[in-house]
Amino acid sequence: MRKQGLWGFAFTLPFVLQLLIFFLFPFVFSLYLTFAKWDLFNPTQWIGLRNWDQLLHQKVFWLSLRNVGFFAVLFVPLQTMAALFLAYLLNQQLRGKSLFRLVFFLPVITPWVAGGMIWLWIYNHEYGLLNWILQSIGIQPVDWIRSGNWWLVIGSIAVVNIWKGAGYSMVLILAGMQNISKEMLEAARMDGANGWTLFSKITVPIVSPMVYMVMILSTISAFHAFDVFLVMLGDVISVADRNMVPNILIYRDSFLNFKMGSASAMAWGLFLIILIITIFQKVTEKRWVHYE
Amino acid sequence: MNTKATAIGLVAALSLMVTACSSNNSTDAPASGKQVGEGGAASPKEVTVKIGLPGGYDITSKQIITNFQAKYPHIKLDIEETPWADFVTKIVTRIAGNNAPDLWLQENAVVLGYGKRGVAENLEPYITRDLKTDEYVSALTSAELDGKIYGIPHGINPGALAFNKRIFEDHNVPLPTDDWTFNDMIEAAKKLTKDTNGDGKPDIFGFQTGNNITLGWLPWMRAYGGSALDATLTKSNFTDPKSIQGLTAWADTINKLKISPTREAATTGKFFENGKAAMTFFQYATQVSLNKNKPDLDWDTVMMPKGMDGKRFVPMVVNQWVLYSKSKPEVKEAAWTFLKYYLSDEGQNLLSESGTSLPVKKTALAELEKSTTKPLNKKAFTKGIEEAGGTLDENPSWNEWRAAAGPILNDIMDGKRTPEDGAKEIQQKVQQVLDDNK
Repeated sequence: MRKQGLWGFAFTLPFVLQLLIFFLFPFVFSLYLTFAKWDLFNPTQWIGLRNWDQLLHQKVFWLSLRNVGFFAVLFVPLQTMAALFLAYLLNQQLRGKSLFRLVFFLPVITPWVAGGMIWLWIYNHEYGLLNWILQSIGIQPVDWIRSGNWWLVIGSIAVVNIWKGAGYSMVLILAGMQNISKEMLEAARMDGANGWTLFSKITVPIVSPMVYMVMILSTISAFHAFDVFLVMLGDVISVADRNMVPNILIYRDSFLNFKMGSASAMAWGLFLIILIITIFQKVTEKRWVHYE
Repeated sequence: MNTKATAIGLVAALSLMVTACSSNNSTDAPASGKQVGEGGAASPKEVTVKIGLPGGYDITSKQIITNFQAKYPHIKLDIEETPWADFVTKIVTRIAGNNAPDLWLQENAVVLGYGKRGVAENLEPYITRDLKTDEYVSALTSAELDGKIYGIPHGINPGALAFNKRIFEDHNVPLPTDDWTFNDMIEAAKKLTKDTNGDGKPDIFGFQTGNNITLGWLPWMRAYGGSALDATLTKSNFTDPKSIQGLTAWADTINKLKISPTREAATTGKFFENGKAAMTFFQYATQVSLNKNKPDLDWDTVMMPKGMDGKRFVPMVVNQWVLYSKSKPEVKEAAWTFLKYYLSDEGQNLLSESGTSLPVKKTALAELEKSTTKPLNKKAFTKGIEEAGGTLDENPSWNEWRAAAGPILNDIMDGKRTPEDGAKEIQQKVQQVLDDNK
């Protein structure tokens, strides 16, 4: 028994080491860095709460939180609804169902660079598809990505992120829908339930754990969003303060300005915010998520 | 196996990992005596130099590496080819992990930052020991900071005014000359901007305005007597009335005079390359792709136009070879041997032939002027740097202050903010960066 236990430790050792070195150590070290000055090249220097003080007084950090908050408010519910709707449609008896599933999943595997180029063209102020449509019905073109209005820019980017992410969430919800027993749906129909009643009273409650998971994952990914902003707004140094998001700010401070201390403080600030939101989601879970 | 043995095993495994991640480093000064590969009857000791090549052989001529290997077989060059963007991201973490290449190339401003932080070796003693500096143009020592030199130029990438001969001839406008001023350029651009299909939008632009520091806002600020920073490179100069005048003229080309496509259109348009812009400020290295993609385009170059005060400013980007300060002394010497070869007539002529940048050796520059590839007038670049070559107000915090100013400059160019209002905010932000990095 004792020997078996040792072998167990031996086999889990690579995973434990990987966890210690690549997760726990950076986690603890970055917390230490929030109280230190480090330019990556020279030894760290303890500076107490200065990074946190600067963070709280840094206007661009608060702007970035406003933007990412707005982004999450748009992205999470819209993406979840889009995924639920697509999953419901693709769970019906349709001809060419596999082809539709593939089409809706394609954006997930499309590289950001390619997807971003297409959306930049769609949003182009002078030659873009969207403005061409607007102009053809007599509406003035809109400067979607380079607008001076932060909410328009962030909203436009949220749409791109929904396009990219809905397919993945759709697959998760679809997996839940395919587990609904046909007998249950049949029984409901025999009792006189129409399509909407079936969807709202049976399908949605049964897939609610999946929807909940999608919402948790989408919220975290919204606050982690980096690639989509980088692709849509140009390079890291071109992002205006009014359109800033925390991850671009963290990247800029750490790897461009070599200020690992302030970047770590921002990363920890963001972590605490995501933690609070996730706890809130967990607390409200019981009100609408149904487990069998 | 007991707990003690497990603990020892863990410590041993960790030690092995730590050892694997580090290298035998030293910060010794350059040897003053015999150099690697020189003198002595005994065969020289074999040394391996790890070289980081961002941009790979598109930027650094492979022939230089091959010829060096043939000449110095005991110095093995271990080449790491990486796309430029990937390299500049990774190099920071590699330096932090004590795992940097022995020699690599990066932008001058970044190299100055490395020098300040103790990453780059001071090459001044090597230069004094082995080079005749009067054989080179002044850019040889462009990586100088506080009397120390932290890089050897990989090459110079200056700007010039490129023009499409056919558009000029079609509209009977005289071709640009080296004596042109910014005003001459603007007036010609007005004549050359045409709406050929009558849809109310120009199809041919007289000029394509750049949005970056090298070919965009800085040359315009300099043309009006302004600058980004003061001469000490410690004070922001964006709110100087002359700097604001320059920014205004720059943004006016798009928003008021409409002689240039917008920033958004220019991002994807390639107007000059496609024969849709008569003139543009042009960096030397761009000739490689232009000649490859549009071999039939009839174009040439003249020197950057003179400013309002009659003075010329030729923006000059210098990428530098950096020698890692923690490499072993014998590796540093071997890397220096490579740099000496790079700066030799043979190395510099090979660099010229690649077309990716101008050499720093005067003999190679003279040879280049005889070249018959486009642009024919290479003197626009070679004489340009000789007469008025200047770097881009580079200091160790260049990347940071440029990042602070960049988005606001984009707003000015897009017409979203006035130059006066934008300059005020830039002034404050840039000064903050400069003060933080004192």
